[in-house]
Amino acid sequence: MQPHIHVAIDPELGNQPTAPTGIAPATAGRPRRRFSRLVPNTVLILSGLFFVAPLLTLARFSLQNVPTILLGWNTLFDKWSLNGLTKAFDDPAFWPALKLSLQLAVGTVVLTLGLLLPTAIWTHLRVPKARSVIEFMTVLPYMIPAIALVAGIKIIQPHARWFLNSDFSLIPFYVILALPFTYRSLDAGLKAIDLRTLVDASRSLGAGWGSTVFRVVIPNLRTAIISASFLTAAVVIGEFTIADTLLKETLPRFQATFVGREPQGGYGLNLLALIVTIGLFVTLSVLTKKRDPKRKSFARQAANAALVEKPGQL
Amino acid sequence: MTNLTFVSVRKTFGPTVALEGLDLDVKPGELISLLGPSGCGKTTALRIAAGFEFADSGAVLVSNADITRTPAHKRNMGMVFQSYSLFPNLTVANNVDFGLRTRKMASAERHRRVAEMLELVQLTHLADRYPHQISGGQAQRVALARALAVQPSVLLLDEPLSALDAKVRSTLRDEIRRIQTELGITTLFVTHDQEEALAISDRIGVMSNGRLEQLGTPRDVYRHPSSAFVARFVGSMNELPATVVGNHAVNVGGHPVVVHQTSQDDGTAVRLLVRPEDMKVVDDGGLHGTVTTCTFQGSSTILGVRLDIVDVLTSVHVAGIADLNPGERVQVAIDGSRAVCEPMS
Repeated sequence: MQPHIHVAIDPELGNQPTAPTGIAPATAGRPRRRFSRLVPNTVLILSGLFFVAPLLTLARFSLQNVPTILLGWNTLFDKWSLNGLTKAFDDPAFWPALKLSLQLAVGTVVLTLGLLLPTAIWTHLRVPKARSVIEFMTVLPYMIPAIALVAGIKIIQPHARWFLNSDFSLIPFYVILALPFTYRSLDAGLKAIDLRTLVDASRSLGAGWGSTVFRVVIPNLRTAIISASFLTAAVVIGEFTIADTLLKETLPRFQATFVGREPQGGYGLNLLALIVTIGLFVTLSVLTKKRDPKRKSFARQAANAALVEKPGQL
Repeated sequence: MTNLTFVSVRKTFGPTVALEGLDLDVKPGELISLLGPSGCGKTTALRIAAGFEFADSGAVLVSNADITRTPAHKRNMGMVFQSYSLFPNLTVANNVDFGLRTRKMASAERHRRVAEMLELVQLTHLADRYPHQISGGQAQRVALARALAVQPSVLLLDEPLSALDAKVRSTLRDEIRRIQTELGITTLFVTHDQEEALAISDRIGVMSNGRLEQLGTPRDVYRHPSSAFVARFVGSMNELPATVVGNHAVNVGGHPVVVHQTSQDDGTAVRLLVRPEDMKVVDDGGLHGTVTTCTFQGSSTILGVRLDIVDVLTSVHVAGIADLNPGERVQVAIDGSRAVCEPMS
């Protein structure tokens, strides 16, 4: 039988026995800890600069009425103006393009959720083995570039003008492009809840399939659905290749032409789009955390009813 | 008051037979536990009763009405699940209200019923909370209140205590039994925990490989197991090699033991299954052995004894505190009146 050995463990150094050097473990750990924090902090700062620096230069170009050649440290605080952000609003093509892109975004979100939500729920409940196949199919748009899709559209274009002439013919293509984001988001949401038990519980309480989906599944997938919708909208509002091929006057196509005519206004519009997107994602995170206050009112009434029946209980 | 009847119910999943001709009648107001190891078909039976699965053949009747093909939402069954099945987006009160809303009950009546149910499970003060704000035990009590709120004809409990810690499990087990008795609701309870089944059931159905091995009162199942499987599964068993001597006796290491009955011929080698409480430490005339372990369990002590002649490690139940230590020599007597003889394979 082996004798019992007691070994001191230093939590800072992990599960390694401390060497009997006489050095206090806490003092030995400090420089190492500092160094271990330095590396990730440096990487974080460099990454931040990598993303922020181009945006700052974009902001200067769009919002400073200073010729590009003169943009430097000595003109850092000269002639700032918000005009650059709103120049595009005066262009007669801007509002129709924005309207079309928003309509396409709404249409794509509705069609995507309409197709994928039942598919994802059904797959999780009835054919879980098919999940990997569906997951593979939904990532295909990642692997097949949009230009390949465009080549396909070009081939069928002469035979399907009745369909492709409509501005809304872009929606099915955008559904395909948004598949990887939408399906993954919904799939993650479904994995996070005990779907089978919730559905069984709902059905055992007398709810049919429709009621179960709308009263139990969808409310518990709210975060996933909102995320999927925002990601889909982001794909639609940023998509250029297919819209350009089919000559649809969407916002990205307007941006591409407008930046040629009016560089400062064009980049200002890009900056504005970025600010709006950030704003939307902040709204998204707030929305997904908020609880419905109406839900509580019933609970209070039930508690009050209990109080009336048994005063002094609570 | 309703009864739930399974008539020769068979269910397969691909090549696996989950249920093989299950016949069971849960009488009005009765609580029957289906007890068995994982994969024995007990949960399948419950899911067939609930309408989540349909039987391949046979029938399920509620008060003699055939519900074999009735969809789950039209069966009026109350069910409590193993995992916490509360709807995370609804408060405790709204969870209890869910089934009532589905039945389009008037608002005032719903409020009254929800209050009544929360009172029944003593959780009125948590009506406002969301499921993530309450403990596991409380969640299962809410699930019970929710299942009972719709006044189901049958209550189905699918291992509702298995995710809880020992103390909460024991309290909630008693509470389930209290509520079930108070409401007189016909209940089918599925569990793999024999202690749970023995504690709260009117009758226990022990299942193995999709078949009902034995159905009887907890006392019957424990005291008179119909097969070696039941004997082993319900309670703990000592297994001693023996030889048949006549119709009512076996020989264990040279010591004759009187048994209830043996169906084997004289001289046949058998395995004698004896409960620890049917083995006693005696001063004289028992099988000699050495104490290997001594486990104090509060009201009793379990001794591990290695018998000399048959070289088998047995456990012996001793009431109170046994004044014995590992290494001590003892003699053990066997009361074979409730033992089961199983042919040696």
